[in-house]
Amino acid sequence: ELPYRPVLTQTPPLEGLTTASTFVLDQPRCIFRGYDNADIWLVVALDKAASTFNNTAGPGTPETAFQDFPDPVHAYMTLNATLANYPCPKPAGDITVLRVGSETSCAQDAARPTCNGPLPGPGPYRVKFLALEGSEPVAETAWSAPIMLRTAKSPSSISTTDSGHSAGMIAITTILSILFAILLAGLVAMLVFWGSDSCGGSSTFSKPESVTVRRYNTHHVYDQPAARL
Amino acid sequence: MAKSDDCIHILQGLLVFGNVVIGMCGIALTAECIYFVSNPYGPYPLLKDTGNNDFYAAAWIGIFVGLALFALSILGIIGVIKASRTLLLVYIILMLITFAFEMASCITAATHRDSLTPNVFLKQMLERYQKSEPANNSDNEVTKTWDELMLQKHCCGVLGPSDWQEYTSAFRLTHNDADYPWPRKCCVLDAQGLPVNLDACKLGVPGYYNSNGCYDAISGPVNTHAWGVAWFGFAILCWTFCVLLGTMFYWSGIEY
Repeated sequence: ELPYRPVLTQTPPLEGLTTASTFVLDQPRCIFRGYDNADIWLVVALDKAASTFNNTAGPGTPETAFQDFPDPVHAYMTLNATLANYPCPKPAGDITVLRVGSETSCAQDAARPTCNGPLPGPGPYRVKFLALEGSEPVAETAWSAPIMLRTAKSPSSISTTDSGHSAGMIAITTILSILFAILLAGLVAMLVFWGSDSCGGSSTFSKPESVTVRRYNTHHVYDQPAARL
Repeated sequence: MAKSDDCIHILQGLLVFGNVVIGMCGIALTAECIYFVSNPYGPYPLLKDTGNNDFYAAAWIGIFVGLALFALSILGIIGVIKASRTLLLVYIILMLITFAFEMASCITAATHRDSLTPNVFLKQMLERYQKSEPANNSDNEVTKTWDELMLQKHCCGVLGPSDWQEYTSAFRLTHNDADYPWPRKCCVLDAQGLPVNLDACKLGVPGYYNSNGCYDAISGPVNTHAWGVAWFGFAILCWTFCVLLGTMFYWSGIEY
């Protein structure tokens, strides 16, 4: 058994790393050295069935057919490849991933038992790589950590009613209410004191047109400053 | 006598100035609200569907309030110069009514802006986008609006492409998760409208899909509209408050 453990892809960060029915693994580059003639298969198993998987179960048989997963088949084999598909070393900058669950066309096709079809539930699942020469298992990796897929909630669980009031709206409402109340009070005060004379305390002033200053022309020039007062 | 005459003239001058400013602000408010009402922006169909387009009601009130402010400011100027008690009383009462209407408009605009949370759009998008049997024309409108929005603003979903993963949707009923983790419009498209790299888009490789949500693109214009109506109205009302207080003080000092 090889000391490698399959992992979900960490670089680059992928938005679709796990979806409701697929997940993305790193390709096993530079892992299976020397097994040039072997077929490298990916085994996908339910978490509880991983320990009971028999390496001698052949790919493409009814015991490992994808179409019967998860019941009665608890582990299927897919993504057949050879060492030529996983050249070592990995070129820098290339994205080398395996998307488990991407083949939708053969998901119902019993004639394709090694189909890489979409996973039927959220899991958890465990995967490992198995190298077969002929039908002899010659190398395998360790089982991966349990992989959980996403579960989708119903949109009716989104609450649209409790939206708080922003500070701005509260400020506008309170300040405007206070101002309006003051104005109403002022209007009431004005009307109540309509009859009474000087409410404001300052002197009343007469309307412009009722004040006319008459100049008294006297014959004596030196009297005029007195008349102006 | 001369001193209080000067005080009176200063008060008259201030009130006339205040009314001139109110008149100009009234015209500005009318122009702004006419602009908002006649210029519905792209995502408006989404707002119409949520039933939350009451800030259009606020804008309509703003148009008439602006015109009323302009007319009343002229009345106020005449009343102050002629120092007529009746004119000024009419002015004050009508101004108070206009004040109340503008207050309602500001509060409506602010409240309805607050109610447009991301969840409102999220729920609408999940339930209506690409609905296979559109119940009425507005479902088609929602789909069309979202497609245009995601295309033009290079965004996906309300908060991000994960909206389509976290919730089931009408879209999910007709498009399986493995082939369409999110709609094709979320992919970076070439000149023909096809994804540049479909596999990279399905994986979610940065650079081949739109990773940010469209909520900012929707709420930006809504914010401008709502705060334009609400805060400008608030500023006008504060100024009007001062002018009205001054007018009341002036009124109480007029000899009758």
